Amino acid sequence: MTRGGDERDAGDERGGDLAALRGADDAVVYQPAEDSGLLAEAAVAEAHGRVLEVGTGSGWVAERITEERGLDVVGSDRNPHAARQARERGVEAVVADLLAPFRADAFDAVCFNPPYLPTDPDNEWGDWMEHALSGGESGRELIEPFLDDVGRVLAPDGVVLLLVSSLTGYDEVLDLVDEAGFAAEPVVEESFPFETLTVLALRRA
Amino acid sequence: MKESLMDVICCPLDKATLELEVDEADDEEVLAGTLTCTECGETYPIEDGIPNLLPPDMREEAAA
Repeated sequence: MTRGGDERDAGDERGGDLAALRGADDAVVYQPAEDSGLLAEAAVAEAHGRVLEVGTGSGWVAERITEERGLDVVGSDRNPHAARQARERGVEAVVADLLAPFRADAFDAVCFNPPYLPTDPDNEWGDWMEHALSGGESGRELIEPFLDDVGRVLAPDGVVLLLVSSLTGYDEVLDLVDEAGFAAEPVVEESFPFETLTVLALRRA
Repeated sequence: MKESLMDVICCPLDKATLELEVDEADDEEVLAGTLTCTECGETYPIEDGIPNLLPPDMREEAAA
């Protein structure tokens, strides 16, 4: 995850021919990057049954899961521009606040690449891209409510795939996972110059 | 949205069942309509095939 610049190119390559689909929404919707690639890799390997991707953004990860596994995937985002892009990719898109409008036990797999960059409150920039990137002062402001509620929507043998950056505090996230009653297992991990990204598979402890 | 989405969504406020009213649909999907909570009566719009299930106080938040 980056605030733009060179690293986006790697994501664009992964996005491939989808560049053509991008219109005016691009400036306000997070586009696939390294973190998206890792989450997709983990989700394609681990997801089963009915899948929800929270914070689907451009819908790229949800599309990968649908194409490579043939699973039913719902993509939700609180940004209506993102939901529109996800729908253009054929994803069943919903505008939602995290897990609020989803039923108990509804999903066998829930994927989340949260906004995780720790952000100085004096330095918040106040647009859709901030919602996509900023995890508040701790970097964990969206991870906490997500973990509090995800057990509700997850089927009994369900799995959560959560992307964690070292910038967000790996051990702190593991503590939150433990408090929420889940056991964590790293599925994929990759190091970059400024952060290490890990996708954790969470299952009920 | 496909009608099968009704199996997994609920009212974001009280988690009660939603009722679907279809204004426009094609062979596969509902393109426009309204979702109404059977408990609190709150309504959620479906526009261009996408249901907006944000709680009402977040729906109008202007971020650009």
